[in-house]
Amino acid sequence: MPQYVLLLHSDGEAWKKLSPEEMQKKVEKYLAWRNKPFVVGGAGLVRDTGRVIRAKGDDVSVTEGPFSESAEVMGGFYTIEAAGYDEAVKLSLDIPHIGLGTIEIRQVMVYNT
Amino acid sequence: MQESGSPVLLEHLFRRECGRIVAWLAGLLGSAHLQLAEDAAQEAMLRAAQTWPFQGIPQKPEAWLFRTAHNYAISSVRRTTVFSSKADALVAALESGAQPILDLDAEQSLRDDELRMVFMCCHPKLVPDAQVALSLKLVGGFSKEEIARIFFSEPSTIAQRLVRAKRLIREQKVALTMPSKGQLEERVNSVLKVIYLMFSGGYAAHAGEDLIRVDVCLEALRLGRLVASSSMGAPRVDALVALMALQAARLPARMDAAGDLVLLEEQDRKAWDDDLIALGFSYFDRSIAGEEISEWHVQAAIAATYASAASSTEIDWVSILGHYDQLMEMTDSPVVALNRAVVVMKVHGAEASLAALTPLAGNNALQKYHLLPATQGHVLAALGRLDEARAAFLAALECDCTLPEKRFLQRQLATVSMLHPSS
Repeated sequence: MPQYVLLLHSDGEAWKKLSPEEMQKKVEKYLAWRNKPFVVGGAGLVRDTGRVIRAKGDDVSVTEGPFSESAEVMGGFYTIEAAGYDEAVKLSLDIPHIGLGTIEIRQVMVYNT
Repeated sequence: MQESGSPVLLEHLFRRECGRIVAWLAGLLGSAHLQLAEDAAQEAMLRAAQTWPFQGIPQKPEAWLFRTAHNYAISSVRRTTVFSSKADALVAALESGAQPILDLDAEQSLRDDELRMVFMCCHPKLVPDAQVALSLKLVGGFSKEEIARIFFSEPSTIAQRLVRAKRLIREQKVALTMPSKGQLEERVNSVLKVIYLMFSGGYAAHAGEDLIRVDVCLEALRLGRLVASSSMGAPRVDALVALMALQAARLPARMDAAGDLVLLEEQDRKAWDDDLIALGFSYFDRSIAGEEISEWHVQAAIAATYASAASSTEIDWVSILGHYDQLMEMTDSPVVALNRAVVVMKVHGAEASLAALTPLAGNNALQKYHLLPATQGHVLAALGRLDEARAAFLAALECDCTLPEKRFLQRQLATVSMLHPSS
């Protein structure tokens, strides 16, 4: 079955509006979703600026990422199995992330050898 | 992907730990730095909420939250220029004695921190609205949006109230200390009043099932028990806990499925919370062990009399009236006098009740209180004075009241109008 990576970008301001009680409810819902059988992997990303490497003329520049300035920071990703994009989208809609940021869904490429 | 048997979160863990972390950090930093303590607690919750969905819940979630808040507080002091001259002292304060807490081996000391926080929030220098809001925010871990929902206010109004209260605490140097012996009684009384205000705020009947209201009642009950179990404990504290437990027990029966108010006498007693009833009676027994008889004792005795009736037809109204008479000698509250008039009707009939209501008619404090005209309407209807009853219910509907209360009054009005269609 094809695999899809769900990249979860978080809107820090939206999170800050939640009360402790609401945050706990969110965590519980995320974890309930994460425990479903179609979820095959995932990891959180450390919330710092990270590093960005890019060419600068003939040199290579390494900078701290722009993430802290942007409204949405990638907080982590999940990998799921789904028959197609339609199903992947449908399964993703149950993540309690709507309103707290965006979810980017990408199919994992598979090479047939 | 998560192994079974992984930790689950206790109900209200975030909210509870938020309050405990604020109390602990503020205890280390002093009351001038409440904001830093709050920010650190908030940051710990945020980080948990954003990382646990991926990493799962840590083995000791409480320790994780305390450690994260503590680290944030230290790094925040170091990098914020406002603290510059005081930074070293603050970091030292944060580091001293933090270890036992971080090892989660200091329940008692956390309870003391919490208690000091309660006394600070209820300091007599603050106005009652601020005392309640501050207690809910700092001790209870409620957000300003939630507090606004509870009191039908705007979050910005609550935010302002909190900012002002914290400024006053800073400027007047209200310390996070237990009250001195000389002030003890006054300070404890102030705390008890705030706790019951908090409880009543949650208890007020409102449209829609907003569980946050029940949470507020239970938080008030928890704070009452916290004070009762401390060195500040006294029979009147036990009495207040008994009162709140016995009233909270009725919460599940207070509204019907349609969200309409159900009068105490018509409530399904089987829906009352047995655990809370038992808790209420055990605190009531403790409260009457001493010599002291406070207003809380008499209020609790009334609640206990209701709760101990086997059915609504077996309520001992004569005893309840006796308690109200006693209460009238202790307070000049017009609300007590009004409630007494309702009981007078049960014992001595409508005519006597009307006589008891008459002196209240011009009372300023009851001007906008819907239960005065509503009670008058009820009594007048019983006397067959239907035109006057109708006018009273219409007057009640003019007062501020919640939707379930409004619907209740409209039903009463409809009944009276039906009996007397010409009016």
